[in-house]
Amino acid sequence: MLEVRELTRRFGDNTVVDRVSFDVPAGEMTGFVGANGAGKTTTMRMIMGVLGSDEGQVLWDGHPITRLDRRSFGYMPEERGLYPKQPILEQLVYIAQLKGMARTEARTQARELLERFGLGERTKDHLEKLSLGNQQRVQIIASVLPRPAALVLDEPFSGLDPIAVDSMAELLADYTSRGIPVLFSSHQLDLVERLCDRLVVLARGRLVAAGTVAELRDVGTPRFRLVVGEDAEWVRDHGGLDVVDLQGGTVVLEIRDPGAEQILLAEAVRRGAVHEFVRVRPALSEIYREATA
Amino acid sequence: MSTHTTPAWLLVTRREVKSRITDKTFLIGTVLLVAMIVGFMGFTTWQSEKTNHVKLAATPDSVAMVQAVIDAAPAIDDKVDITLVRVDDAAAAEAALTDEEVDAWLHPASGAWELTTESSADSDLTAVVDAIVSQQVLSQNAATAGTTLEALTAGTQVSTVFLRGDATKAAVADVVGFVFVFLFYIAALLFGMQLASSVIEEKQSRIVEIIAAAIPLRHLLAGKVLGNTVLAMIQVLIYVAVGLVGMAFTPYRSYVSDISGPAVWFLAFFLAGFIALACLWAVAGSLASRTEDLQATSTPLTMVIMVILFAGLSLDGRAAVIASYLPPVSAVVMPKRILVGGVAWWEPLVALGLLALFAACTVWVGEKLYRRALMQTGGRVTLRQAWSAAE
Repeated sequence: MLEVRELTRRFGDNTVVDRVSFDVPAGEMTGFVGANGAGKTTTMRMIMGVLGSDEGQVLWDGHPITRLDRRSFGYMPEERGLYPKQPILEQLVYIAQLKGMARTEARTQARELLERFGLGERTKDHLEKLSLGNQQRVQIIASVLPRPAALVLDEPFSGLDPIAVDSMAELLADYTSRGIPVLFSSHQLDLVERLCDRLVVLARGRLVAAGTVAELRDVGTPRFRLVVGEDAEWVRDHGGLDVVDLQGGTVVLEIRDPGAEQILLAEAVRRGAVHEFVRVRPALSEIYREATA
Repeated sequence: MSTHTTPAWLLVTRREVKSRITDKTFLIGTVLLVAMIVGFMGFTTWQSEKTNHVKLAATPDSVAMVQAVIDAAPAIDDKVDITLVRVDDAAAAEAALTDEEVDAWLHPASGAWELTTESSADSDLTAVVDAIVSQQVLSQNAATAGTTLEALTAGTQVSTVFLRGDATKAAVADVVGFVFVFLFYIAALLFGMQLASSVIEEKQSRIVEIIAAAIPLRHLLAGKVLGNTVLAMIQVLIYVAVGLVGMAFTPYRSYVSDISGPAVWFLAFFLAGFIALACLWAVAGSLASRTEDLQATSTPLTMVIMVILFAGLSLDGRAAVIASYLPPVSAVVMPKRILVGGVAWWEPLVALGLLALFAACTVWVGEKLYRRALMQTGGRVTLRQAWSAAE
């Protein structure tokens, strides 16, 4: 497990990351969201040791993280680009070797991954000769190459076409299923919602929400929607709940007393036809907007 | 995963050398310069060995003098072969010159002699004619005055005597010294720029972050500096070797052994001098955030290299002696002094030691600045910012 504890970074008088703490559990995909300038990239750079922190620490499996630990991490920086004028297989092997892999092993793994991303025929091409999407694929391969112990990816999905997004998602799922913690930042909330087990929301350098997607969506008073055949005006007189919105036979309500929804449902059934009775969970985008507002 | 693998700095060095040595522009540049050196040598040899055939026109009043010139010419310059062409009068001579049937016309004019050519004079011919005519006229004048040429010119000769070597050797030392200085200048500038832009390339594409997460940045710097040093040394070695071997085929072959020793010293000084500057080039690259910034961030360094160039070309006497100990200009001034001669055996060693010490300092300072500036994103970094930046 990767743990971030009270991490703080200041640039001059500007506190860019302010006592941020969260966990990236093993085998789970953690989405890192926040507006531009919220401090996501700075936090990730501190986790990777590329940038020093003013306060706080990063723990790996319970102990303060070391250079050797980080060497085994897969990292994808925010801005893309490897060596434009070098054959792709060669530079992937170079990067893997820098991470401590033996040359032959690096070659085999790089080839395998290139095949997987449909670049098996282009191993000798210079990076700049590839399309942007394919360059991105090579970048991804570079970050996952030496069988990573953890993945820290800054906007791994930006600039990918839908097919590449799918193969990237599949690849990440592959790593989490092997018990590897994955932290990735993204602006695409729908994608984060679809892929992530957990979510960390940052706003202006501070942590505003963290937890599993379900936890976050269940935060606050539970809401239900009830649709009945006739006018639902009678719901207003029902105890233990507040009506948020009522139009004809459709009513949205918040439960004040636990269990009040069961009594309400029984009453509705007694009165006539019930077309719909459902728990309303806010979309991730709503939570995000609320948290970062 | 095996933990016993190639050290990171060596991997970086290898990549630097490999990616550059397989680069077409680098190869073409090297081959072109070698071709230029060989061509220059060939041209020098051809120029000095070819015989200059000249047709010299003589009007009836100058036949005797032209004949005298032809007879005495081999003693003055055996590479000038003069043929006599008789013409009837001045008009015919001028016509022959215009039609390029003759190269020059020697004739008396208002009590003296004139060598008329169409537009440009052959310097070899002019020298020969000048020497012989003045000798002839002096002899005649001497006879008229009742004395001899020998009596007249006795004691007028000034001959140049060198305490060390001779005039040609000094000239060769001058030229080779110039080549040393220039080679250093070109290599320091070209390879330095190359090193700086490869640093920017890594910084700009953020691949440096991937690398920084994997290896200590000092390994990256060491690898880049070493790689470029190896490349620069290979190139300079090729040039020096081609130059020396080529020289063995020119009339200056007797000086090859005189130059070989200083050439080895030059390579040693080049190595120390290059490393001293290479780390600073890496800093210049790390301060920039885009290639366009390099012009600005490398200005102090290009100034230093210009100073080295001018010091190398212009200093002599006491100034040269002082400069030959003063890093980084000692990198070119000392090899030049060795070339001229008269340097005690310990002098180059002391200068090289000082230069190496200087290199150690720039490596130390450079490594700090490089590491701190490299991770700063967003715009150019000033030296002060880099020095005081937290890591």
